[in-house]
Amino acid sequence: TAHSDPNPNHVYFNSRGIWATYVIFIFITHFIVLSIPFISMALAWTLTCQIHNVITYFWLHWEKGAPFEPLDQGESRTLTHWEQLDDGVQFTANKKFLLVVPIVIFLLTTFYTRYDQIHFLVNALSLVLLAIVPKLPQLYRVRIFGINKW
Amino acid sequence: MLIFVADADVSWEFSDLIEAIYSAPTYHLVFEGCLILFIVGLLFQHSFLPSKRRGGSGDRLSKAEEDQLIAEWQPEPLVSGDPADEALLASYQRCATSQVGRSVTYSDGRTLVNFATGNFLDFIGEARIRDRALASLRHYGVGSCGPRGFYGTMDVHLHLEEQLAKFYGCEEAVLYSYGFSTIASAIPSYAKRHDIIFADERCCFAIQQGLEASRSKIIRFRHNDTAHLEELLQRQAEHDRRNPKKARVTRKFIVVEGLYVNCGDICPLGELVKLKYKYKVRLFVEESASLGTLGATGRGICEEAGVSVQDVDLIAAGIENALATQGGFVVGTKYVVDHQRLSGLGYCFSASLPPMLAAAASEALTMVDEMRGERTARLKSVSDRLHQRLLAELDNLWSVEGAPMSPIKHLRLHRCTGENSLPALEAACAAAADAGLLLTVARYVAQDLGQPAQPSIRLSVNCNHSDSEIGSLLDFLKSYATGLAKK
Repeated sequence: TAHSDPNPNHVYFNSRGIWATYVIFIFITHFIVLSIPFISMALAWTLTCQIHNVITYFWLHWEKGAPFEPLDQGESRTLTHWEQLDDGVQFTANKKFLLVVPIVIFLLTTFYTRYDQIHFLVNALSLVLLAIVPKLPQLYRVRIFGINKW
Repeated sequence: MLIFVADADVSWEFSDLIEAIYSAPTYHLVFEGCLILFIVGLLFQHSFLPSKRRGGSGDRLSKAEEDQLIAEWQPEPLVSGDPADEALLASYQRCATSQVGRSVTYSDGRTLVNFATGNFLDFIGEARIRDRALASLRHYGVGSCGPRGFYGTMDVHLHLEEQLAKFYGCEEAVLYSYGFSTIASAIPSYAKRHDIIFADERCCFAIQQGLEASRSKIIRFRHNDTAHLEELLQRQAEHDRRNPKKARVTRKFIVVEGLYVNCGDICPLGELVKLKYKYKVRLFVEESASLGTLGATGRGICEEAGVSVQDVDLIAAGIENALATQGGFVVGTKYVVDHQRLSGLGYCFSASLPPMLAAAASEALTMVDEMRGERTARLKSVSDRLHQRLLAELDNLWSVEGAPMSPIKHLRLHRCTGENSLPALEAACAAAADAGLLLTVARYVAQDLGQPAQPSIRLSVNCNHSDSEIGSLLDFLKSYATGLAKK
């Protein structure tokens, strides 16, 4: 659809079926992990949770700019994907969804790992550090110790 | 307890998993409770735009403050009754009834010798160009009615682009429909936010608009002062050493004009190319005034300075001066120039050059090529002769700014003659019209940063100006200034 937004990264997450696609990707990952014969149920869930958090961290909070040339005169060159989504507006429906999904995965994971201590530690750390903290509005456009600034 | 491999004595039945909740550690349930509260709280959050998003202060006004500002607002008149505009307005009343060539006829019947417009190679009124344009008009109609991407591309455009590329010895050319927007589109398609552009401080307004549109950091260096430019580049290199990660993603450019319209000077291209390779910056040259007027065969500043065209990253020019049509082009390597077919906003989002003008430009370019610099050499000698005579005969009356062979010269009243103010120069131009000469004051937009401190009369020399026409110009200047000095 034609629109006047110079950067498609601002609006594509409003497309029809994107949320469902994201959830389906998680399901596919989980099924692949579950198919590996020698690991237990708990490990499979922890693996899914970790893979999800790590991949979404790199996708949303590490890589900057866009894979195409947007017409925004270089504004998005120093912005991560999370900062570009919805053009920087905080707490939109998309952002709330992306915040809730890792938490739901974590809750399911702790249930299926029978509340084991080590699994809890690993999953909770990755949840908080990789999935929740970077998405908070307080960290919008913040680069700790200048890491990943340029 | 570690559960890694599939263990026979751990049950994964759903009922057993539910029972495991009751035996879960307390810290775990507390953590999960916090997360669930977080989700619930999230559902009630309103979306908002962080105030420092665009880097501004971002404090929004309250309704009361807004109302107060609206109540206090007093509209200014749409048209200022400033009498200083009267002379400019009066000049709009003048109506030409002939082509604005080497001489112009006005509605009051006077014919004036034209020293005001940039018709350097005297192509206005050239029969060959006119005939080609008329033939093209009959074939294509007047306008192209579309941008280049939407049915606005015709064979004349492609032919002219090929011809321009071959003329300069470059790989590719891109044609724009308006000379001003050529450089104003070319610069922002390469330079973006967080990039750095070193620009000459007397650049023309079109370049300044391009610089502003690019959102880059602009560093202005003193006019034609390569030592100052080197100092600034050195300073930037030190910054880069301290922050190499930032330097790796920062693009740096130098933007200059071949022949400066605001000064009449020629840029030191040889030294700029040396600086370019020493400090690894890209060099953009704007050649609107130097196309056809510099170089042995009219190929511009590169030929004049003896610099290979491959050493300049981008040459942009408007063809509205020497080639006497409308439009502009950018020429360079295919890798650089092709980018503008999608990113050059003036190329993508403006209707393409009317085919009859493209045909006329093509014919004019063919003529320049065929003449092998004959008119260019004549233009240089006429300009030089004028310059020498100005220096010799009008020494204490007028001061001249510009290179001797440049067809653009700026005249200012010498302080011995009187105050060099805009009204004084406008009066001189009006008196010149009475003497049969068309002179103009150099006019600038108020926001133009390249305008000089002192106003000036801008002379534009035509290659076919005869000695008698030059003589009458000098006689007028001398008598007018002498008359002023006596007062």
